[in-house]
Amino acid sequence: MTNKNAPVSLMGASARKFAANRPAVVSLLFLIAVLALCLLAPWLTAHDPVKINLRSLNQEPSAEHWLGTDKGGRDMVSRLLFGGRATLWISLCVTAIIAGTGTVVGVLAGYFGGSADSLLMRMTDVVLSFPFIILVIVVKSVDPDGGIPSLIWTVGLLGWGGFARVIRAKTLAEKENEYMLAARALGAGTLRILTRHLLPGLLGVFIVNLMWTAAAMIGVEASLSFLGFGVPVGQPSWGNMLADALSPEVISGQWWVWLPACLLITGVILSIHFIGEGVKEAISIQERHI
Amino acid sequence: MLTYALRRLAGAVPLLLLISVLVFALAKQMPGDGLGGGLNPGNKDPRYISDMREKLGYGDSLAVQYIRWLKQAVSGNFGQSFLYKMPAGELIGQRLPATLLLAGLSLFITYGVSLTLGMIAGRNPGSRLDRLILTAVYVAYAIPTSIAAILAIYIFAVVLHWVPLGGTVSVVTSRGLSALGDRVIHALLPAAVLGLFNTAAYTQFLRNEIVENSGKNYVRTAVSKGISRSSVYNRHILRNSLLPLVTFLGMDIGGLLGGSVVIENLFAYPGIGTLFVAAVSGRDYAVMMAVTLMTGFMIVAGNAVADILYGWLDPRIRAGYNGGRS
Repeated sequence: MTNKNAPVSLMGASARKFAANRPAVVSLLFLIAVLALCLLAPWLTAHDPVKINLRSLNQEPSAEHWLGTDKGGRDMVSRLLFGGRATLWISLCVTAIIAGTGTVVGVLAGYFGGSADSLLMRMTDVVLSFPFIILVIVVKSVDPDGGIPSLIWTVGLLGWGGFARVIRAKTLAEKENEYMLAARALGAGTLRILTRHLLPGLLGVFIVNLMWTAAAMIGVEASLSFLGFGVPVGQPSWGNMLADALSPEVISGQWWVWLPACLLITGVILSIHFIGEGVKEAISIQERHI
Repeated sequence: MLTYALRRLAGAVPLLLLISVLVFALAKQMPGDGLGGGLNPGNKDPRYISDMREKLGYGDSLAVQYIRWLKQAVSGNFGQSFLYKMPAGELIGQRLPATLLLAGLSLFITYGVSLTLGMIAGRNPGSRLDRLILTAVYVAYAIPTSIAAILAIYIFAVVLHWVPLGGTVSVVTSRGLSALGDRVIHALLPAAVLGLFNTAAYTQFLRNEIVENSGKNYVRTAVSKGISRSSVYNRHILRNSLLPLVTFLGMDIGGLLGGSVVIENLFAYPGIGTLFVAAVSGRDYAVMMAVTLMTGFMIVAGNAVADILYGWLDPRIRAGYNGGRS
């Protein structure tokens, strides 16, 4: 006999809630599949995504090339997978930098307040006072030939303003909780209060913003590479593939060059959004329980 | 009200100064002469470089250089464009109207579409139409600008033949009112794509605000007084739901300026965005830094105007602001 009111762990309840959210689960499976395919690309496809092959220019989809070839005779499936490797890697690294810096700055500013808060928030104000893409292009032009690592650092170090603001606002709200006061009254040190009491309360906001940032950075890579300031021309990335799509011959006559890339990129961004929504709802259970 | 407006404007001054410091620091990092454009970045002769640096006053301390540059920038002198051989300020002045037209048109489309869709969805929450609109909003949110533009070009240029392929802007030969009409027609498609993200955000926001407000007490009062449903929605709910949108205006300016860099280049539209990218590619640093400084100032000004408008529309904000500062 099972007890209906048996205690469930919060993690278990959240996991069950997430599993019941069908769009989120489908999105998660889709994203895992795309990640796996991109990671395994060197073993999955025999076609070189970069080398120009003069014997197979602009071919329609066939058994040999499932999604045809582009103007350089390169297999589109292989370009999609290798391009995904570059774009998703950039998005992952940039998101890690933004989430790390944004969390540290937001928590420090929100928890300690005072002059540290003013200084850090004025810094974010200045960075957020420019259109993001313009600031990235200007800063990157100091080091125009830096390649992908320079791109990652530039976007990451300029992009944490919004993240820090959200974390700061949530920290200010969490600080007012009575258990924070209780912890301090019991003699807990600042480090212990921050890691044990404050950070768990930020988890929901953190994850939602993490997902949102990861999705947005795929779009940023696409825009930057399209303008010629992102991934160096010649290296496959989803943004560079979109740039190829813009020539009139391609867009009017070669759907296989641009349509799969558009669908895949939009699908990946949508699925990240859906997973974020699912996690948000699953975590809101925890907040209700507490 | 005037005190509030003045306080808000005065609060923007330190931010403007910080922005100018950042732009100055970046310009100093650029190879060549990022401040005035007087130095040819292609000429690598050390004698030429040292002579020119002396002539341009680069021997002075950074603080002196900064103040001299700021004075010139305030009086509208942003240096010389290296590519176009004319003052950078004048160059921007030529291109700015096109970008303002694009951004204005984009805001117009955003407001029109999102008001309509938001009202429809907000009035019938949970209906099939509501779910359809929300799904469309979700997709519009997720789709990157470049993909939206490619799809728009495919649909309107390749399938429907409404606009020419490869650059949607024809050379304007006529003058006067018909020329303006011509410009507006050619800016429509880029403007719609530029406004897509905002349209999605506004629609979702309005819908949720309307749904939330329709459960409030003042709505129940209005209904019990016998006011018709459409009047309650149009007069009572919509007014309160529209109010927070004003604060979005400040953020929109940044989004529109950044987005127009991508959109203008995608559609070969001759505005600030294409000028900026050409300047970066051609190492025309004076123009590049002038555009950067200008966009920063426009965003700060836009935020201040949005705050002042909001304070004017909602006295509670005004009171909170004055109370917090004095």
